Amino acid sequence: MELTINKPTKRNGKRAVIFTVLALTMAAAAYAFLFLKHDPALVNLGERLSPASAEHPLGTDHLGRDVLTRLLLGAQLTVGYGLLALFAAVIFGVPFGLISGFKGGAIDRIFMRVADAFLAFPDTIVAIVLSGLLGPGIENLLLAIVVVKWVNYARLVRSTVITERQKDYVTMAKINGLSSFAIMRKHLFPHIIGNVLVLSSLDLGKIILLISSLSYIGLGAQPPAPEWGAMLNDARPYFQSNQSLMIYPGLAIVCVVFLSNILGDYFRDAFDVKKEVES
Amino acid sequence: MNLLSIRQLHIMGKQNHIVKGLSFDVREGEWLAIVGQSGSGKSMTAMAIGRLLAPNLQAKGEIWYEGKNVLTLSDPAIRRLRGKRLAYIFQDYQSSFTPFLTIGQHFDEYQRTHLALSKQARRRQAVNALASVGLDGEIYSRYPFQLSGGQLQRVSISLALLLKPDVLIADEPTTALDSVSSFKILELLSRLKADTGCAILFITHDLRHVRKYADRIGVMKAGVMIESGDKNQVLNHPEHPYTASLIHASRSLKKSSMKHEGALG
Amino acid sequence: MSLLDIRNIHKTYDNGEEVLKNVNVQIESKECLGLIGESGCGKSTLARCILQIEPIDRGSILFKGTALHNKSERLLKPYRKNIQAVLQNPASALNPKLKIKESLIDPFQQYGSQIDMKHFTYPSERGFIGQLLEMVELPSNLADRYPHELSGGQKQRVTIARAVSIEPSLLILDEPASSLDVLSQASLLTLLEELRERLDMSYLFISHDLSAVQEMCQRIMVMKRGEIVDSFEKERLFCEERHSYTKELLSLFE
Repeated sequence: MELTINKPTKRNGKRAVIFTVLALTMAAAAYAFLFLKHDPALVNLGERLSPASAEHPLGTDHLGRDVLTRLLLGAQLTVGYGLLALFAAVIFGVPFGLISGFKGGAIDRIFMRVADAFLAFPDTIVAIVLSGLLGPGIENLLLAIVVVKWVNYARLVRSTVITERQKDYVTMAKINGLSSFAIMRKHLFPHIIGNVLVLSSLDLGKIILLISSLSYIGLGAQPPAPEWGAMLNDARPYFQSNQSLMIYPGLAIVCVVFLSNILGDYFRDAFDVKKEVES
Repeated sequence: MNLLSIRQLHIMGKQNHIVKGLSFDVREGEWLAIVGQSGSGKSMTAMAIGRLLAPNLQAKGEIWYEGKNVLTLSDPAIRRLRGKRLAYIFQDYQSSFTPFLTIGQHFDEYQRTHLALSKQARRRQAVNALASVGLDGEIYSRYPFQLSGGQLQRVSISLALLLKPDVLIADEPTTALDSVSSFKILELLSRLKADTGCAILFITHDLRHVRKYADRIGVMKAGVMIESGDKNQVLNHPEHPYTASLIHASRSLKKSSMKHEGALG
Repeated sequence: MSLLDIRNIHKTYDNGEEVLKNVNVQIESKECLGLIGESGCGKSTLARCILQIEPIDRGSILFKGTALHNKSERLLKPYRKNIQAVLQNPASALNPKLKIKESLIDPFQQYGSQIDMKHFTYPSERGFIGQLLEMVELPSNLADRYPHELSGGQKQRVTIARAVSIEPSLLILDEPASSLDVLSQASLLTLLEELRERLDMSYLFISHDLSAVQEMCQRIMVMKRGEIVDSFEKERLFCEERHSYTKELLSLFE
């Protein structure tokens, strides 16, 4: 038999660079308060709408607040809340899908009906309605996102489990005395983890967009929180005179969504055992 | 007389040389078996004859059929040849059928492409063809998934022989079947060969499927024909050690098991 | 007392198809019993019933006198170490996402403390896996590979090693060689014969290949449409008293 060696390809190298950049951005956002001297919520009407300067590298907004500070702290808010919502959706969805797919029967049927009900409505509409009902605010928005997103993970995991559990290796694991839990953990989990990471890194972009767009229409983060969508909303009246106020948060959203897509590709390749060998 | 002559056939992939200078003839009305393990290039050779190779594979050399080199024929000419004169059956009988068409619809489509027959005549011909492979007429209105593997392989044989081809190229038709069904298929092929007089080029990895019915045998290994000749000569006096090991590995029933009981243990 | 005693079992699928009709099989210790039949005759279902992967409708399955049928998974666990299996398709019997060593160690992790270790030692996990691979004539560096890097024959040897790693007394072989090419088939059957001698196991050898069954087994049973229609010692395969179906099979294989 021939030995195939896994050579790191050029693409993998590029991925690694992008991955590092993403990690650094997030770290910078997380520790922004260490090297920022401005208060993101401090109103200084004397300096309102001032252009870029040494003091304010990206200028100030309509209330004289430093844009760079708000952008960095916004990363904390937007990405942080996005990750939080994602994490909650995964934590809730994955076990649900695992059990439903592996056990089948009545549990599975009930779950499918619930999931169908959730899937019948578009994400954005459900999120808008829920945060509208619960009242505006970032916590309620997060709750709405979890409610909307967990079904996707449960469905993904369930369908993977249903395909895999019919295979002989699961039968053999039963014959070898493994308990249902052990089979899920040792044999099915490796099949799920890759898929879930791919979906969730792609979802991260969508969730950030959702948070920002709901904040933009006033249902998410409330002023003076420096959330990117809310910043876009604040900048709307000054679109003619100070375009940069809209461009910066917009660019930030685009970058994060883009990075999350690349991350998704990276995970997909990283968890494909076969592809490693073929390349 | 030679029906099909293959001369210095080379098949190349992007990096590998799969078939290396292969030459052999298929004679009229004979059963020629090509035996070899997976990766020996035997299936590629079968595909090259009907120009069915995947686009990333390249065939060089000559394949003579009725005074023409198949490898240089125009596309319409090769299509006419493939439908009427060269017929194929494959190992993967399941994917030879479209799952949402009935067996009858498969026949109908094939007949309308190649024959000018009325609807009733088409149906009559199809039912006769099914009967000739030992299948009931009611199969006509069934869907592929309702039939067993052996039955589906019979249907594909009856379809392949419908237009009375000169050569039937059978690429491991029995490998996916259990041995009971495969022996039945072999018996059927041999009967149909006698009835229709078509030659059979039979590709297999299992010498047992060859022992009873083939006229001549060619043994392939790593893209080269290492031995060929009359069936009895190859089976009883193999020249190449590889042929000998293949013969040794193909178990057959031991009739005298009573006497050799100890030795069999 | 037979090692495995199957009495009058019946099984009907949900669609009303009777797959097993009044099947009786006795397997003695250290014997190799052959079960032959066409595909779809119910022989694999019988194997799945013995392995308690599928429930039976009626009848009983006794292992050394203890009933196994339709027991809960918890009560069944101690018996699972005695009855192991090798299935037809090695490609799907190994988890594609796990390394060979991770799949191999599965049964031992469950039963390692309960077995006598008559034939193996456990110096370390690595050493144990090396022994298993060596026993099935595979190089020990395969332990760190993934299943898709192995040939079909090699994969099947891995599943055999996994099955015998806990020294079972009965091994159910459901067409272990049919998906392999002729040369691999022959060497796999030789290996199985050697292992049975070495590890004192019984085999239920299920196959559609009469010549393989004749080579491997002392006693042969013939199954047709869910029924055992014939049962005899290997030496009496060509005798006049054989069932008409057995004779039909014989004529095909000649």
